[in-house]
Amino acid sequence: MPRMQSFPELLKYVWQRLGSMSLAIILLVVLAIASVIGTVLLQNQDQADYLQQFGPLWYWVFRSLGLFDMYHTWWFLTILGFLMLSVSACLWRNVPKMLKEMRARKPTLSEKALKNFKYTKRWQLPASTDIAPLQASFEKRLQGWEFRPADEGGRHYIRADKGRWHKWGYILVHSAILVVLIGGWMGAQYGFRGNMAVPEGKSEKEISFLQGTETGHLVMPFQVRCNSFFIDFYPTGAPKEFRSNLTIIDDGKEVLTSDIIVNEPLYYKGVRIYQASFGDGGSDITFKMFHMDGSEAITTATSQVYKTWKDPASGIELKITDFKPYNVENMANPGEAKNFQDLGPAVEYEMRGPGLKPVKIKAFMNPFIDGDGNNQGSFMMISLTGDAADFKPVALGLDLSNPVEWKLFHAFMRHLVAATSGGKQTKEANLAAFKAAMNDVFGEGNRPEGFQAMAMRTLQAVNMLPQLPWPLLPMLGDFKLHYYTGLQLALDPGMNVVWVGSALLVLGLCIMFYMPHRKLWLIIQAQDDGMAVTLAGMANRNHLVFDKDFHDLFTKLDDDFAKLSS
Amino acid sequence: MTATTAESGFFVALNQGRWAYLRFAAYVGAMVGIAAMAMFGVGAYEENAFLYQILSMKGVIWGGTGALAGCGLAVIASTLKPTLQDAKSARNFVPWLDGFVLMVALASIWALFEPAQAAISYDDQSNLFAGRVIMAMNVIFIFSSVSYIAYLFAPDSFIGRIATWSAYSGVFLGGSALLLRWHESYLFDLEIGHAPVSNLYEVFILLFCITAAVYLALEKRYQAKAMGAFVMTLVSAGVFFGIWLDSVGQADIKPLVPALQSYWMKIHVPMNFVGYGSFAVACGAGMAYLCRYWLESNGGKSKMLAIFPSLDQLDQLAYKAVAIGFPAFTLATILGAAWAAEAWGGYWSWDPKETWALIVWLIYGSYLHARVSHGWHGKALAWWAVAGFLVTVFCFLGVNMYLSGLHSYGQLS
Ligand code: HEM
Repeated sequence: MPRMQSFPELLKYVWQRLGSMSLAIILLVVLAIASVIGTVLLQNQDQADYLQQFGPLWYWVFRSLGLFDMYHTWWFLTILGFLMLSVSACLWRNVPKMLKEMRARKPTLSEKALKNFKYTKRWQLPASTDIAPLQASFEKRLQGWEFRPADEGGRHYIRADKGRWHKWGYILVHSAILVVLIGGWMGAQYGFRGNMAVPEGKSEKEISFLQGTETGHLVMPFQVRCNSFFIDFYPTGAPKEFRSNLTIIDDGKEVLTSDIIVNEPLYYKGVRIYQASFGDGGSDITFKMFHMDGSEAITTATSQVYKTWKDPASGIELKITDFKPYNVENMANPGEAKNFQDLGPAVEYEMRGPGLKPVKIKAFMNPFIDGDGNNQGSFMMISLTGDAADFKPVALGLDLSNPVEWKLFHAFMRHLVAATSGGKQTKEANLAAFKAAMNDVFGEGNRPEGFQAMAMRTLQAVNMLPQLPWPLLPMLGDFKLHYYTGLQLALDPGMNVVWVGSALLVLGLCIMFYMPHRKLWLIIQAQDDGMAVTLAGMANRNHLVFDKDFHDLFTKLDDDFAKLSS
Repeated sequence: MTATTAESGFFVALNQGRWAYLRFAAYVGAMVGIAAMAMFGVGAYEENAFLYQILSMKGVIWGGTGALAGCGLAVIASTLKPTLQDAKSARNFVPWLDGFVLMVALASIWALFEPAQAAISYDDQSNLFAGRVIMAMNVIFIFSSVSYIAYLFAPDSFIGRIATWSAYSGVFLGGSALLLRWHESYLFDLEIGHAPVSNLYEVFILLFCITAAVYLALEKRYQAKAMGAFVMTLVSAGVFFGIWLDSVGQADIKPLVPALQSYWMKIHVPMNFVGYGSFAVACGAGMAYLCRYWLESNGGKSKMLAIFPSLDQLDQLAYKAVAIGFPAFTLATILGAAWAAEAWGGYWSWDPKETWALIVWLIYGSYLHARVSHGWHGKALAWWAVAGFLVTVFCFLGVNMYLSGLHSYGQLS
């Protein structure tokens, strides 16, 4: 750094540095490296997740550097600001020069300048050759070029230009960067973007969004009502389309009703409303409670998703977390061809109670029917850790959707205890007990259809059900589905500015890369012993092609000139 | 010898001047016609039937009208300004578009080999014909890279020609297989059908074809055969990855999740891969540069040097590839932003994939600046081209594997 004499000089020095190419390279690389951080560190998560992941010390360090919402920190924005400043500085410095250069096409060349040309060729023609046909053949070989002739110091110059607007590419690209960044800033400053969840039949006015580890809220100038929500499925069971029917209510009046799907948002008062997600909006759930105290009792209980149901008698609490009407799972064993099957409706809840370990349960309404059409009985998924990833399927044995089986199970248990009191379970004892139970439930000698399978299920239930520690077994009895639709609302006044900038950027890049500025000169000078003709050329890009084209031109002119001078 | 010269003379004429110009206008017109059909036609754009919309009478009418209009406009324009007929863009683009037409023809031939409708099942897709064409492509690409490497050690023009021709065949096999897959996706159920650019396996094939095609275009124009050993080896590495993907069951055609049901996908994804593919070629040029540099500094007596382009040429070739890739990648990112604006509610979300695309863009942007500024020389830039491609690979694969985000369609599960 040179010693500074005065403040203006310092300013000038800083300005020059700002517009320098090395700073541009450094800025681009620094920006790239900084951007990496935010992709490695998940942004805008829960505070608790971060604390658990990094521990208090690193949590504190990262937090004070703003790394949890990195792309909005002062230091990241400063880098972007520097980039804008730097681009402005280099535009400021280069544009006037470039504009002047594009306008002025000096036809003449000094001897010194000519020496520096990478591409030159010379002919020595007889003195009798005319200049005009030489010039004509030069111009004929360069169709679409612009020519400018001049005479100076006994020489005749013809300058040919192609792509002389090339530098506009530079100007467009670099201004476009400024335009895009300004558009982005406008969006960040005067726009918003957030989510709202609207249950079917209800309306909502407020959006929420994440800022670092906090949640912000904003009230919209209108209300959104979700009239209905649909999901359409592929034959494979995967979702095909999410569709919400929305009504916009402005100032108490219904102004607009429309369907939206993913990729087709609704537009109202500058705000775009997108289909972003969906979920359960508080479905009505009816539980069938199977009492495990041997009383054979089945009671029902009703509640809603996101509510907690309490049983005053046993102290059991069910916190209902989710309900899904379809549960498509791959039922194939590993290695087999995939076999997707819809297991039907299921409710998810957390069960706790006095003396019980809390667990998470997903209980299905229908029994599991295997690939061969056999009824394998009711089942649930149980997660002992409370984490959905730890769900393990548990077959309950009985088909609980059929109350008779619950009766049969109890009858069987009674006869089994009687038959084997003190002794071991044997096959014969089991069979005898089951026969007796059948007679109890269906009447002497009567056998329902498929009773063998029922026997298998009951036997399994005998081994399974007594292991469950709960006084109640809550299964899904019935439901009335209500979805919520997850909407994203966004207003971005800078968006169109960004699109304009983007268009300029692409246009500029195409000019920059594909319209090189090429210059050629034909210099004709009469000498004592004949006529010296020089062809000189330069291109500011794409030398590989120019190299070839220059040689092509040379051979063609060589032919022409040979004919002219013979 | 005379026969081949005459033949190539004929082809040269077809690919130059007036014929190239008219054909180019017809292709552009046809594409505009199809786009117009998607936007304004009766029934407009339908994800579930787009391929058949194009191939139906309606598509032929829209496309054909477009082509005729394109030719007409071209004739008028060229009478006003005769030099238009020699426009370079027509000459440079026409072979690509011809190639595409050939791929369509090939795909229609392959379609004859499809199993009977009754034998087609979504659960077991192994009997579909595209899988076989892709296998052939895999073999041919690997063969091609072996030939290119052999050519380095035995610079025999026959080996060189085999290498080039097998690379061409690979491109056509891969391209036609993708088109066939598009058709196959409809065979299960019209609802499942979609363009073959929706999962990692499909875009991988697209990437091989584009990389090889960009390379072949450079080879044809600049006689840079020695570079092929590097580029095609990169492609072969990808081929092995693709085979692995297939073996773990990731090659199946699956229905599109709602977020991907958009015509933006058909523009955004291929454009992105023009960028990636060109960067791969730049990486190949960079590696060739470093290889030549190493050979030279080891005494420069290796026979290989004779077939390598000069250092300066290799440097220019890397630049050339970036000059194709950078604008394409810029455009692809902008198209992605436009799509995100329509599907997710904002053109930029700092989602990991987006951010890595920005990182890739910045790396190549700084590469371009480093070329213009003094102080950076060929070797450093060659390293830069190689490193830039590593970043690109991370953006393409690493993000899907290690980082979560909205672009999870390419998730390796
Ligand atoms: C995101 C930011 C930028 C982008 C995308 C960008 C893009 C480009 C591109 C693509 C080129 C053409 C290189 C080539 O032809 O090989 C270029 C050239 C150039 N850039 Fe940038 N640039 C950026 C920022 C800057 C900054 C900050 C400066 C100055 C401080 C700068 C100064 C220049 C100069 C002087 C040239 C050479 C122009 C010429 O001689 O043709 N650029 N830029």
